[in-house]
Amino acid sequence: MTTTRRDLFKFAGGAAVGALLSPAPWRLITDTALWSENWPGIPRPARGEISAKFTNCTLCPAGCAVKARCVGAQPVSLAGVAGHPMSRGALCPFGIAGHHLPYHPERLRSGPVQRVAEEVARAMAARQTSEYVAVFDPRPGRTASWTYRRALHAIPGGLYIRPAAPWSGAAVNLDAARIVVSFGMPLLDGWGTPGNVVAAREHFRLIQVEAVESRTAAMADLWLPVRPGQERALAAALAGGTAEGTGIAQELVRQVAGELATNGPALVLGPADWPEIAELNRQCGAAGRTIVARRETPVPEAWQPGAAETGWSAVEDGSLRVLLIDEGAGGGDYVPWSTIERKLAPGAAVVAFTGTPEGYARHANYALPVAVYPEAVDDIPAAVDSPVAVFRLSASLVAPPEGLVSATDFVSHLAGIDAAAALRERADAICAAGRGRVFQTASGAVTALKEMKPDDFWKALSEGGCWLDEPDPKAPPPELSTGAAGFTASFAIAETRGAGLVSPLLSKLHEESHLRLGKHEVALHPSSGFRDGDRAALETGCGRILVVVRRDSSVPPGVVQAAAGADLIDLCGAAESARVVRL
Amino acid sequence: MTSKKETIRPARYGMTIDVDRCNGCGACMVACAVENNVPPAHAGANDRKGLTWIRVYKVDNGQDYPGKRSAFVPVLCQQCGSETPCAHVCPQQAVDVDPATGVVGQMPERCLGCRYCMAACPYHARYFNWWDPAWPKGMEKTLNPDVAPRMRGVVEKCNFCYGRWHEARQRAAAMGKPDTEPVDYVPACVEACPTGAIRFGDLNDAKSEVARGAKEPRSFRLLESLGTEPKIYYQSQRDWVREIASAPRPGAEKGNVNG
Repeated sequence: MTTTRRDLFKFAGGAAVGALLSPAPWRLITDTALWSENWPGIPRPARGEISAKFTNCTLCPAGCAVKARCVGAQPVSLAGVAGHPMSRGALCPFGIAGHHLPYHPERLRSGPVQRVAEEVARAMAARQTSEYVAVFDPRPGRTASWTYRRALHAIPGGLYIRPAAPWSGAAVNLDAARIVVSFGMPLLDGWGTPGNVVAAREHFRLIQVEAVESRTAAMADLWLPVRPGQERALAAALAGGTAEGTGIAQELVRQVAGELATNGPALVLGPADWPEIAELNRQCGAAGRTIVARRETPVPEAWQPGAAETGWSAVEDGSLRVLLIDEGAGGGDYVPWSTIERKLAPGAAVVAFTGTPEGYARHANYALPVAVYPEAVDDIPAAVDSPVAVFRLSASLVAPPEGLVSATDFVSHLAGIDAAAALRERADAICAAGRGRVFQTASGAVTALKEMKPDDFWKALSEGGCWLDEPDPKAPPPELSTGAAGFTASFAIAETRGAGLVSPLLSKLHEESHLRLGKHEVALHPSSGFRDGDRAALETGCGRILVVVRRDSSVPPGVVQAAAGADLIDLCGAAESARVVRL
Repeated sequence: MTSKKETIRPARYGMTIDVDRCNGCGACMVACAVENNVPPAHAGANDRKGLTWIRVYKVDNGQDYPGKRSAFVPVLCQQCGSETPCAHVCPQQAVDVDPATGVVGQMPERCLGCRYCMAACPYHARYFNWWDPAWPKGMEKTLNPDVAPRMRGVVEKCNFCYGRWHEARQRAAAMGKPDTEPVDYVPACVEACPTGAIRFGDLNDAKSEVARGAKEPRSFRLLESLGTEPKIYYQSQRDWVREIASAPRPGAEKGNVNG
């Protein structure tokens, strides 16, 4: 048999077709997939010894206890600490991804520290006698706050400014409440300490008064969809007035008022500067039962007296020559810039100590970068729902990068005081007071403080432990005073988004699903005529920002729901009306 | 004297999700992404192209304001126990059902990215990697060493945190426990849920909380009429929530699969 060239071609062709029908090419594709899994573009997780570290979250005033799973020294996941007396094992989505913040692409990493120091010194020297050197502390009650007060006491014309707190010295005892009426408070969505609220929720009936069906309204036993802007009128109706114009039937209002009077202990939550809220709480006897007096965490004798606490309303217009804003501690109250701006003297030096370019850094002359959670070591004052004083530290889990500054070091240097060991000094003062108990996070043990030595107490705190004060049986019921009541905006209701930096993984809630409104997104009722995803402008008397519209029939006609961020508060915080304009 | 042959007691891991307790905070979604090295959204990602192994949907009773009432329903792979649609259609056998745990797993190394499984899944609980996984600079240090990131072009989904199951198995072995017994572990979403709405356990263990919860009258499963026997049981006292889960085809009798 002769083999011709044609036979060779036939053989090669047949072999090629046969190979196609065999598993070989599919195997090749699979192997290609295997190779592609390991190409350099895909990061490889680090390896190392697995360990657990403990700390407390500083992203909001709740200060939930955190257990960090670490590979080597690097935290790779965060979880709550079961058995913790306040946070009870819970963490919110912002806290769960808190270990990503040091790597946030928008984080501030450098700033002109030397130039700022010179500029502030020059401004202080040029200060008139009627002008002040002020520190604005959006999150008062910390040891850092005491450092500012000590420093400002030593600086001529020093002024310590904090957000308004009409119920200062009082706290909410949710465990004692059997009925809670909430006026727009996000009780089940980030208010207070989430784990504590959830645990207490088993025992009280919740009535939510809110124009929008928020998460709390959706979970409430009764939702009163009040007409936007009529919240205070409804509170007055519950206190004995008429419900006309509120959108809620008089009979239903009478029924809720009856529940408040008879099914107590009752608690009414709402903006603390509304006199109607204080009146309702007075009527239902909340003071001393569900709203209790809370002692301050002890401070060393040597720190007294510090500069007095001042609210923005008490600061004269045009009187601030130097303003230093400590925005580094997350979760503080963001005061609209328009409120602050009119207090500044012409040519005032404004410095924001911050980790994000989003907040006051947009308005300040200078922004200096500070450590962020979980790099920074700081203490966390008691949350609104903690009936007793607490002391806990956010222990550093990650070393901060070079080039950062500390706001407390900067301010204490200006005053020439030494506050480097302030946290330890305060811990020693607590130890000297000798009351209360200590929850030790790693073991879950609770020890009476009087049985601990100062070094052991400090060690427990450094490992995420928490000191809890004893209730003061002799404390008189707190006085429910009110501040100057502001207006009730009839247009915008904010949803919790988290202030400052949030982990890039929060995109799961914003961009990759529409579970929460993202930055610059607003929700409107479908009857508004907008389509989902339409681009528009949100305008108020303070300016405008570009937004994306989401249709949501939970939002009543005529109302805009938006996510609370610094720029939105600047836009809407001092405005009474707004409109969404199609672009 | 008879010799006792030791046999593996297969587990059937499942969940109960109490819709009436879920406040839609999204902690489960974030914890899942942290645990399983799911990257943040690519610049082009949206709610259809994102990667959310567990996703909380807001559902409502169909009425307009102020009669509207909403609920939050976390939806993840329902871990179908019978006629698993994704496993049936996969041409690469990249989907398998572990007989020891009942977990429906996805093997990205085998996946071709044909997305038949996504088309077949009645729960929209499978996600395609449209882009290479990428984290902001430095954030790759926070990746979980127990889970490999997936490449572009493959499908991924919830596997009940299988990495945690392996870890629990290793821990049990180190303690000298026989590998014939199911191990105790919980997926990240269960651990993270601040309201305790999500419970996890072995449905084969009659004493477990989930096995008892699954039998409660208020329990239901999504699209039960399809006969896929999901191992995720939802719970709600509200009738309209339970009705949403059955979603009968238009014009079909209730319970009629063929419609």
